[in-house]
Amino acid sequence: MAETKPRITDIGPPDYRQFLPPVIEKNYGQWKYHEILEPGVMVHVAERGDKVYTVRVASPRLLSLDTIRFYADVADRYCGGHLRFTSRHNVEFMTTDADNVPEIRKEVEERGHLVGGIGNSITSMVHTQGWVHCHSAATDASGIVKAVMDDLAEHFTAMDLPAKCRIALACCLNMCGAVHCSDIAILGIHRKPPRIEHDKLDKICEIPLVSSSCPTAAIRPTTVNGTKSVDVIEEDCMFCANCFTVCPALPIADAEADGVSIWVGGKVSNARTQPRFSKLAIPYITNNPPRWPEVTSAVKNIVDVWRQDARKFERIGDWIERIGWPRFFKKTGIEFGKEHIDDYTHAGLSFQRTAQITHVDWD
Amino acid sequence: MAITIDRIADEMFEMVKEAQEVGKKLKPMDLQKTIKNKYDDVDKPMTKKAIKQLVDSGRLVYSYFGGTFLELPHREGAAND
Amino acid sequence: MPKEYKTPQLDELEKGPWPSFVKEIKLAAKNNEMANDVLGQLEQSYDERLGHWKHGGIVGVMGYGGGVIGRYSDLPDKYPAVSHFHTLRVNHPSGWFYTSDALRKVCDIWEKHGSGLTNMHGSTGDIVLLGTRTEKLEPVFQELAEAGFDLGGSGSDVRTPSCCVGKARCEWACYDTMKACYDITMRYQDELHRPAFPYKWKFKFAGCPNDCVASIARADCSLIGTWRDDLRIDQDEVAAYADGGLDIFNDVVLQCPAKCMRYDAEKKTLEVDNESCRRCMHCINVMPKALRPGTDTGAVFLLGSKAPILEGALLSSVMVPFVNLDDEEEFEDFCDLVDEMIDVWCEEGKARERVGEFIQRVGMGNFLEAIGLEPMPEMVAYPRDNPYIFYEMEEEEELEEA
Ligand code: HEM
Ligand code: HEM
Ligand code: SF4
Ligand code: SF4
Ligand code: SF4
Ligand code: SF4
Repeated sequence: MAETKPRITDIGPPDYRQFLPPVIEKNYGQWKYHEILEPGVMVHVAERGDKVYTVRVASPRLLSLDTIRFYADVADRYCGGHLRFTSRHNVEFMTTDADNVPEIRKEVEERGHLVGGIGNSITSMVHTQGWVHCHSAATDASGIVKAVMDDLAEHFTAMDLPAKCRIALACCLNMCGAVHCSDIAILGIHRKPPRIEHDKLDKICEIPLVSSSCPTAAIRPTTVNGTKSVDVIEEDCMFCANCFTVCPALPIADAEADGVSIWVGGKVSNARTQPRFSKLAIPYITNNPPRWPEVTSAVKNIVDVWRQDARKFERIGDWIERIGWPRFFKKTGIEFGKEHIDDYTHAGLSFQRTAQITHVDWD
Repeated sequence: MAITIDRIADEMFEMVKEAQEVGKKLKPMDLQKTIKNKYDDVDKPMTKKAIKQLVDSGRLVYSYFGGTFLELPHREGAAND
Repeated sequence: MPKEYKTPQLDELEKGPWPSFVKEIKLAAKNNEMANDVLGQLEQSYDERLGHWKHGGIVGVMGYGGGVIGRYSDLPDKYPAVSHFHTLRVNHPSGWFYTSDALRKVCDIWEKHGSGLTNMHGSTGDIVLLGTRTEKLEPVFQELAEAGFDLGGSGSDVRTPSCCVGKARCEWACYDTMKACYDITMRYQDELHRPAFPYKWKFKFAGCPNDCVASIARADCSLIGTWRDDLRIDQDEVAAYADGGLDIFNDVVLQCPAKCMRYDAEKKTLEVDNESCRRCMHCINVMPKALRPGTDTGAVFLLGSKAPILEGALLSSVMVPFVNLDDEEEFEDFCDLVDEMIDVWCEEGKARERVGEFIQRVGMGNFLEAIGLEPMPEMVAYPRDNPYIFYEMEEEEELEEA
């Protein structure tokens, strides 16, 4: 292989300093306060009085180059050629001129991108790859996100909620989206153990590695018709798909069995109450593309009940903590079953170990 | 005489080759630990340099199957032409 | 001329107010065969309720063990343009700031060599360039490098670090998150590109306890801003909030988790017992003009969070209650401590064991001993409530003898 140029490696990301808008470079670390002016628009005021207006815009996250170039054009027209993205896939246009705000809004809205997601609203959903790109997906990601956010868009463009509400989706238990601390988490799940392709397995996988990949030790080496393969003890399988990541001859996806579960009450912010995990609300809803109506209505129901019942500042988890889980299930009409009771390691910690009870009339 | 990076690299290569012949995969950490245990005067940076040499020259490649491994280049089971 | 797929299912997802990813795929599909075949294959996935990708473990760019995720369609005859569909993770700039020119450069490269589909951004933070062929990886990599971009992490390595907007545009940032993130990324380039760990290791930098990058839940190594001195209070602004109709007693004082605030409704002044304040940010969030973090600022260093695979989910927990990352010396000390942790974990950790799981297995006490960190009460929510203490008598005797 004749190399004409030396390869460039290990240069790291571009230095962010070259990308900062002048007003931000000038006032770096010198911001005094900010105000939310209207849904999706805030102004930050610096100690020396400079102002920067930010317009936060929803994006589908999965973007074509046309749309990225459109963002670049908007940045050129109104923001001196600068823009940024947020940790939840929104785009932010920053300008020093308040008159640019309605212009930016007009351009992005004409393209079908909503302005909002600041303050007590529902911002964009952190999500994963799904059927667009991942091999272990138990459901699609982008499609459910689109359908759920279509239903909740009114809470992106307004600030009409008791507190922030963060929704996230991961299409399998690997949780690339690390959804486990969200107010509402949608999680794809497999419910059948992997199918074993005995004829291929030994050729493309390393058997000791496959057995050791299983967290519940459900996979044992075996021999089938003279070829080395593995056995799965089905009762021990928790459908995590680890084995499939390690070995493509153990496909786990199943159209009838796969679907999503819904989890509630997590948060990551330390404000008021401590960060905590989301807890199981609905163990299983079958995949119903293209719009997953059972999922969207379940999410909307939780949001609506919370919205009407919570006190100011109560995130979904705070609200549930106050009213108690029995009333959560009662008010949302979600059925409680044996899946809700933990039986994994340290399960006992989640049992109600007190006689303090909120009595609910179940009839 | 102190052991050279070239020699560490060669030994690592042989380890991967032998493992692969019996259908096993080795992790970078396995190689580093074995070499460090074998030679008193080899430290972690030297083992890292040896691995860098092996992958930069294409003698070994990284692979990912739920964790990172080092392997001899080959066509994998999942590949399409 | 690319094939034209009928996509009745996906067309449903062009309707409604939220911006549509299907429109994006169709835009890309107009002049890109790969994007067009993604559309076709995705419609089939919607019909069958099944994905159609295979994991490719061995694709990458020469010399790197991270930054590329291998993918092959399992229907290559039907959708030949996506028979290879490998994805590149491109390390984003701190805080996700760009110039339009930098973005256009990335677009031009991806137009030439890839599917024209992207994620801005992946959940770890990288620019995700979705889908190209094996032989295109090297040209994309080198053209990106010429444009100033490098690949991010994947596999058992340091994953691409990320941070909140911090001092660039947030008055609450207690340290320079964007600088810390950039400096760490540059320092760990080798560990990012050449995986040598038991499993992944993530850094996330949040400027204050609001934790806008979810570091406490999503990073092995979580740096969350805090302050040690007193909350700054502007009493005139407190009065202005009161005059503006804010119910300071109910909305601020009663909501304080430490119950450490007192409000004098007549004088319209607010008092904080700073020794009891937990630095939770609630009062500051509600009255940003009147209240601000103090000026002796830094970060809490927490360790060990992860998603549920394998041993259940964990949140990061406190290692060092305060470290001033803006101070060069303290930053170096922090890096040394991290190196120490990584060394112990690499030496003793099992494959696919995140550092949080590793600590659970060996015990926090032993881990602290191994990295040379003194136990502190800040590290626990409460002390042990079971009597199963392991005393290592032999070692103690040896110590006494020595
Ligand atoms: C009201 C004052 C607040 C301001 C000015 C503020 C500032 C910001 C900024 C600048 C971002 C973008 C971060 C980035 O991508 O780097 C952000 C996102 C975020 N913030 Fe805050 N923050 C505030 C309050 C909070 C509070 C109280 C919480 C939690 C209770 C919170 C949680 C988050 C989360 C989860 C995100 C990601 C949301 C998104 O990108 O749409 N923030 N915030
Ligand atoms: C091999 C198939 C996989 C694919 C295609 C995939 C894809 C992705 C992508 C594109 C991202 C976002 C990357 C970024 O922003 O840089 C991501 C992040 C992530 N992945 Fe995966 N992933 C795979 C396997 C896994 C596995 C096996 C695990 C866990 C055992 C996992 C856990 C995660 C986590 C925790 C994150 C990041 C979450 C965060 O930073 O908040 N992924 N994955
Ligand atoms: S969450 Fe699971 S299915 Fe979804 S992208 Fe990540 S690994 Fe793939
Ligand atoms: S899916 Fe998970 S639990 Fe089931 S056999 Fe595979 S690795 Fe084991
Ligand atoms: S984490 Fe704190 S400092 Fe960083 S952007 Fe969010 S509110 Fe600001
Ligand atoms: S920061 Fe939190 S704990 Fe401290 S005074 Fe304010 S509300 Fe109370």
